[in-house]
Amino acid sequence: MRKLAIMLALATTAPVSAQTIVVTHAEAWTMDSAEPVRDATIVIESGRIVSVTAGGEVPGGATVIDARGKPVTPGFVNGATQLGLIEVRSASETSDESSADDRNAGFSPARALNGNSTLVSLARADGLTRALVYPSPSRQPVFSGEPVMARLREGADILDRGDLAVYATIGGGAWTKLGSRAQQWTVLRNALTEAKRAAASDVTQGPAKGRGSGGPPPARGRRPGENPIRGVIAGDIPLAIQTHRESDILQAIALTSDFKIRVVIVGGAEAWRVADALAAAKIGVVLDPQANLPFTFDQLGARQDSAAILARAGVPVAIGLVGGSIHMNYNAGLALREGAGIAVANGLPWFDGLRAVTVNPLAIWGRGGGTLAPGSDADLVVWDGDPLEPSTNALAVVIEGKQVSTRSRQDLLAERYKDTRP
Amino acid sequence: MMKRVRAAAVFATAALLTLPVPATAQRAAAAPWQENPYPSTYRAPTPEDQLLRGATILDGAGKRIDGGDVLVRAGKIVAVGKGLVNPGVREVDARGRWVTPGVIDVHSHDGTFVRPLSDPDREASDVSDLSSANVADTWIETAVNSQDTSFDRALSNGVTTMQILPGSTPIFAGRSVVVKPIRASTVWGMKVTGNTQGFKMACGENPKSWGAESENDGPTSRQGVIAYMRQGFINARAYKLSLEKARLGTGEAPPRDLKLETLAGILAGDIRVHLHCYRANDIAGALALAKEFGFRIAAIHHATEAYKIPALMREAGTCAAVWADWWGFKMEAQDAIRAEAPMLERAGVCVMMHSDSPADGQRLNIAAAKAAGAGRRIGIDIPPEQMIRWITSNPARLLGLDKHVGILAPGYEADLVLWSASPFSIYAEPDLVMIGGAVAWDRTKPRGEPVSDFELGRKGAK
Repeated sequence: MRKLAIMLALATTAPVSAQTIVVTHAEAWTMDSAEPVRDATIVIESGRIVSVTAGGEVPGGATVIDARGKPVTPGFVNGATQLGLIEVRSASETSDESSADDRNAGFSPARALNGNSTLVSLARADGLTRALVYPSPSRQPVFSGEPVMARLREGADILDRGDLAVYATIGGGAWTKLGSRAQQWTVLRNALTEAKRAAASDVTQGPAKGRGSGGPPPARGRRPGENPIRGVIAGDIPLAIQTHRESDILQAIALTSDFKIRVVIVGGAEAWRVADALAAAKIGVVLDPQANLPFTFDQLGARQDSAAILARAGVPVAIGLVGGSIHMNYNAGLALREGAGIAVANGLPWFDGLRAVTVNPLAIWGRGGGTLAPGSDADLVVWDGDPLEPSTNALAVVIEGKQVSTRSRQDLLAERYKDTRP
Repeated sequence: MMKRVRAAAVFATAALLTLPVPATAQRAAAAPWQENPYPSTYRAPTPEDQLLRGATILDGAGKRIDGGDVLVRAGKIVAVGKGLVNPGVREVDARGRWVTPGVIDVHSHDGTFVRPLSDPDREASDVSDLSSANVADTWIETAVNSQDTSFDRALSNGVTTMQILPGSTPIFAGRSVVVKPIRASTVWGMKVTGNTQGFKMACGENPKSWGAESENDGPTSRQGVIAYMRQGFINARAYKLSLEKARLGTGEAPPRDLKLETLAGILAGDIRVHLHCYRANDIAGALALAKEFGFRIAAIHHATEAYKIPALMREAGTCAAVWADWWGFKMEAQDAIRAEAPMLERAGVCVMMHSDSPADGQRLNIAAAKAAGAGRRIGIDIPPEQMIRWITSNPARLLGLDKHVGILAPGYEADLVLWSASPFSIYAEPDLVMIGGAVAWDRTKPRGEPVSDFELGRKGAK
């Protein structure tokens, strides 16, 4: 048995090959209940959680991570970022978050994800194991493209799953090409109506050649979000709408009954005003709990207890977009935890705060999981304190059953200069 | 550059109409850069005498008292210690809670980078005047909208003093103003007195990028920015010399030039420079320039690479006003690290947290906690009683307010916060914020107080 002393993340050595990893003496937050399993032994094999048992035996030959009574949670999941698509915001050649192709608004950023990004290794060191990555507005209003889930494993390939939703942006000044938000909603409704008609004609006539999900794309590329939006109509994926104003949230709610589709609200500064209607429409909200200032007129109602209000009404809440352009990607892990902490400080029960960064984002984006239940994906984090405190460090991070490095470029710079005397 | 040529021309061809004034009278008069055309109308609210009993006190001077009391009377701190005798004032049970000096943010754009930020604010921003790379004649207070929603949010999160700086696009960006984030009809109703006048300068990517735009007339490179500063101070030195000669009666007084006289005020040591700078070489270049002209740069703001040159900072007596975790968004911010504040602290550099943001400005205490957490990763442990200085007494000293605020000690103004928990916990809420011994924020009062004129009657959050 190889025993790894858990000290600060910097001093932790990752095992060379680890088929079986065991985390011992964990305060394990399995997410099954609002109470942790204390002194838990967590057994991980072949990328899956095998068991979480209080005082459980340690199988022979396993790599052991001694949590020393510290909290262990499922890997954290950021509900809305552009991680892996952006490196230096002011350097456009390092940005891949949007399509500038006039012909084709269907845009998956999957092939642009860069696991070697310095933003990714920092987020991983902060205990982030997955992140929803959404595209920025395309040239085809009102669509951005199709968000993907990134999994922050080591290496360049961090794609977890693509085509998770159709992503639209609606609001004041969002589309100069269209002007009024009324027209933005009309364009969205027209696209849904057309997709519905096409789906109906497929049922009666069979899929049109080259237009179905199995066939090759049409010669000039698919039309704005065409195939994915048929997935929305079919109920396979949600329609995600980044919008804030109460009137726009109401429009989004209306889509669920008019088109029988699943909707996700991203942003939703004023969503709390219609919390009950959102709950009734089974709409999940991905929000930034730190936002309490109206960045635009659409966000006059921004308040830090909106997560608490929505959760109380039964709306699934996930945390994302935290800290806007300064933090949401550059500190995708740390800002997420800070955001969850702010939500808790403003009335969200602590365990719900934990759900908002584990189970809920994966449920809202259709992936499921985010627990330590036996059989689930082994993504977990050992923390040196309450993970919702931004001063807490991740001591060890396991992704897909492998312990990954928690050293970032910032750690290397700090080590290089920490004893500098000049 | 065009504006500099214009200034020089005025200088050369000025109609010298100023009558000679006796040297004695001149000596008594304030230097032109010391004139204050915009006096404060701040009136301290009626103080409420209080005894906060049984709190964990971080006094801002480096001391921690567990189970300590703070007595506030007539707007001042009267006593700090254990088992204070109540002279008959309202007593607040502060057991389990924490008391610290009010938070001071030395880098705010509230009132100019307003919320919401609408098209008119984007197209012609009040954050800085962009008629020239030298707008040393501007006073940011003449732009500050006291109805910006951000002030209330800052107050309700424990901020009691903030310096509003002009933006970092111009090289000589103008004068700052120090305010209390209280409700007032104008910024002058918020304006602090007794501080040292601040002045904003900028180096690096922001000014050079602006200069590189075809319609603008600023320098287009780092070397151009430093050279521009140097020429500016050479002109100011000559201007200052003329003023001194006139004062001694040995020369004619030069015509008033608001830009030159402001820079002359820096050379005289009456105006403090707050320099926006990221990269180590930019910082070092600016420190060398200050040395050449015999003034001290009070603080490098952002200073994301100051951790690479701690000795230079220490020897120059220049503070670093830093973020905990901003990095990466531009090239010169690539090497920012979260452990910077603890590293600088250990190296003996004066360091403090700053915000540059109405969002992060509400949580400088959490910024300090994040920085300290990063310090622990590399074996630097900063205790709470030391961390608190990053957001209280260090910024107070930078603003020249160190005899007034930033420390809980007898005689200091009673700017303090009663926190529901350790201020370095994300769950801590300011239960009570006092400014000048008056309750400026009370969390037990219903939501909606105070509310800015902007939010009044709008279906906002409140």
